[in-house]
Amino acid sequence: MPYKILDKKELAMNEVWYKIHAPHVAKKVQPGQFVIVRAFPNGERIPLTPVTWDRDEGWITLITFVRGKTTMRMANELKPGDELLNVAGPLGNPAPMKKFGKILAIGMITGIVEVFPIAKAWQEAGNEVTTLHVSPNPMVILKEEFENAVSRHIVEGFDLQPGWGMNEIAQELVKRAVAKVKELLENEHFDMILTVGPAGGQKAVFNVVKEFGIPMHADLHPIMVDATGMCGACRVTVGGEVKFACIDGPGFDAYKVDWDELIHRSGFYAPMERLALETYLKQLQAQGGEQ
Amino acid sequence: MVRKRPKLIKERVPTPERPVEERVKSFVEVNLGYDFASAVKEAERCLQCPVEYAPCIKGCPVHINIPGFIGKLVEHRDDPNKAVKEALRVIWGDNTLPAVTGRVCPQEEQCEMNCVMGKVGDPINIGKLERFVADYARKHSIEDELLAEMRPSVCGKGKVAVVGAGPAGLTCAGELAKLGYDVTIYEALHKPGGVLIYGIPEFRLPKEILDKEIAKLRELGVEIKLDHVVGKTVTLEELLEEYDAVFIGTGAGTPKLLNIPGILLDRIYSANEFLTRVNLMKAYKFPEYDEPIAVGKKTIVIGAGNTAMDAARSALRLGSEVTIAYRRGREDMTARIEEIQHAEEEGVKFEFFLNPVEFIGDENGRVKAVKFEKMKPLEERDKKGKRKIVGTGEYVTLEADTVIIAIGLEPNRIISEEATGLKVNPDGTLVVDENLMTSIPGVFAGGDAIRGEATVILAMGDGKRAAKAICDYIEKKRKANA
Repeated sequence: MPYKILDKKELAMNEVWYKIHAPHVAKKVQPGQFVIVRAFPNGERIPLTPVTWDRDEGWITLITFVRGKTTMRMANELKPGDELLNVAGPLGNPAPMKKFGKILAIGMITGIVEVFPIAKAWQEAGNEVTTLHVSPNPMVILKEEFENAVSRHIVEGFDLQPGWGMNEIAQELVKRAVAKVKELLENEHFDMILTVGPAGGQKAVFNVVKEFGIPMHADLHPIMVDATGMCGACRVTVGGEVKFACIDGPGFDAYKVDWDELIHRSGFYAPMERLALETYLKQLQAQGGEQ
Repeated sequence: MVRKRPKLIKERVPTPERPVEERVKSFVEVNLGYDFASAVKEAERCLQCPVEYAPCIKGCPVHINIPGFIGKLVEHRDDPNKAVKEALRVIWGDNTLPAVTGRVCPQEEQCEMNCVMGKVGDPINIGKLERFVADYARKHSIEDELLAEMRPSVCGKGKVAVVGAGPAGLTCAGELAKLGYDVTIYEALHKPGGVLIYGIPEFRLPKEILDKEIAKLRELGVEIKLDHVVGKTVTLEELLEEYDAVFIGTGAGTPKLLNIPGILLDRIYSANEFLTRVNLMKAYKFPEYDEPIAVGKKTIVIGAGNTAMDAARSALRLGSEVTIAYRRGREDMTARIEEIQHAEEEGVKFEFFLNPVEFIGDENGRVKAVKFEKMKPLEERDKKGKRKIVGTGEYVTLEADTVIIAIGLEPNRIISEEATGLKVNPDGTLVVDENLMTSIPGVFAGGDAIRGEATVILAMGDGKRAAKAICDYIEKKRKANA
């Protein structure tokens, strides 16, 4: 199966955009659905979200945040004209498409990528959509695309301070998101909230939304392997029941999600993820040394 | 062939196995199989029952002509290549995946259980002989010529879509291709094989061998579309517009999880996730392969079927101490005897009459122990003939930093949820008639998708039967339209 990389560029710091020939996905994908990509023969399967697509021309676009070995290797080694080994999908359920009224759709860092197709479709379905992108300034992406697609697009950016690691960024992200969402909800009425982003950030936003009693749809990102419901790696507790995010989600009613459990499970492989990345960086260094 | 009345040789010729201390350190195959000389010696033990009577053939779900292929080994004993070629021709008539079935079938419950020799001594080692023929043929490039013979002279007899590249789908596709149909398999994962690729470990079925068996189907003209999830990528309705018939062989791949406290703690895996990471993604080679797996020092596997044995022996090879905990007794275990023996030899411990009631976690949210209720057997038996069990009200807690749940699987519902016209039983299996046709005309199904969790060879038997039914269906439709 040739899934040719038709185009590729760096949109912002650590944000890489790919245009992929994948007619089987392009023909069917709906906002809210995702794909599983395998890029290398010894590689893992990672879930990514088609941001835009053309059903006739048979391509989809994907944006990856370079956060570990696989995404970094893709950023470093793949060139336009190369092929991805596997693009499976579309997977998961489409986001609910109806007229909610006024919607606030929140994307944290690269989470905004998944917000795009849903927010655009909601706007087209007659909703008044406000999108909010909370992100470090060097990682702000899709600004113009959002401005063209929805009623109002707000960027809540912040600068990265020297010496910050992922923890500090996450803390600042949560602080900014909570403050901005509070401000928006205090000043105007919304009928529906959507969030996409790190589980910790989504939980913090949910705690604000909950006080206002507004319905909230959250796209969850647990660990996935096959993403067709055959392993349960992506299991989450929703409304007291065990659900598989890949086939029952990825979108769920935020009021029913066990957030602490989700946050905890997301960090399951952190030490091995670090080891994989370190090993890869060492390889790169060794190659650099030889040249 | 005229033969003298055969002399009874009661004991089977053994197959060598890799020593325990060597094999537990790696995923290489445990059983080394026969060489030609020992295969012929074992073949000579066969009494050559007539084909129309031979009980072994009746015990085989795809009805391989067993005395037929065994006879060829003896007949051409002076010419190994010819012996194997003739034997393989006989096997391929009924089964296109002999290197797989020779390894993973529970022969003791099928062909070998029926073998007449088993009444006076050891049954003929049919599985290992089948495996020998397939392996020798592959190693000595004997397959190509036979494949050319098998390729149908007339193609284009119709177009059939097969959903799922597991044992049922692969067999159905192979049979239809031999008969001259254009077959396309739609597979959700990035490799074909179904449970053979993601479930059964290398030490029982080397993936290289599986890949070659599947490559033969491609030689026969079968197209395999990977990364296609029927129900999502393409609907059943769309397939019916493009193809004359559809076969659903989507298996039973959804794990049953225990509905008890602590199920979401870290390092609690479904056996499917654990085995998929190990087999399909080669996580045992991390970080050479990117897929991680986290196994601690003490693993408890819950369940006692083949999946549990595979998971236990895999965890052992990743350096863990492993205990299998089963709610029934030793004699109730459903795994193959050979696999239980291998697990025991390798140091897997067994605990019986323990039913899990809670997973206990540490302060970091990682599992640290499993609480079990002690069970006891009753005289009364259930529908499957197993002794019923009841709780004793006594509890025991076993330490574990990794838990693998292998209590069974049920059919994946992606396709039945999308295709609303497809009739489904309460347990998720598809409803089929005596011709394996579903509630939608032209859509057939077989294997675990209609049986629930069963065996590789039963799935293959269904695939073969469905292929025949599909031919009849297409022929009939053609005549009606003519």
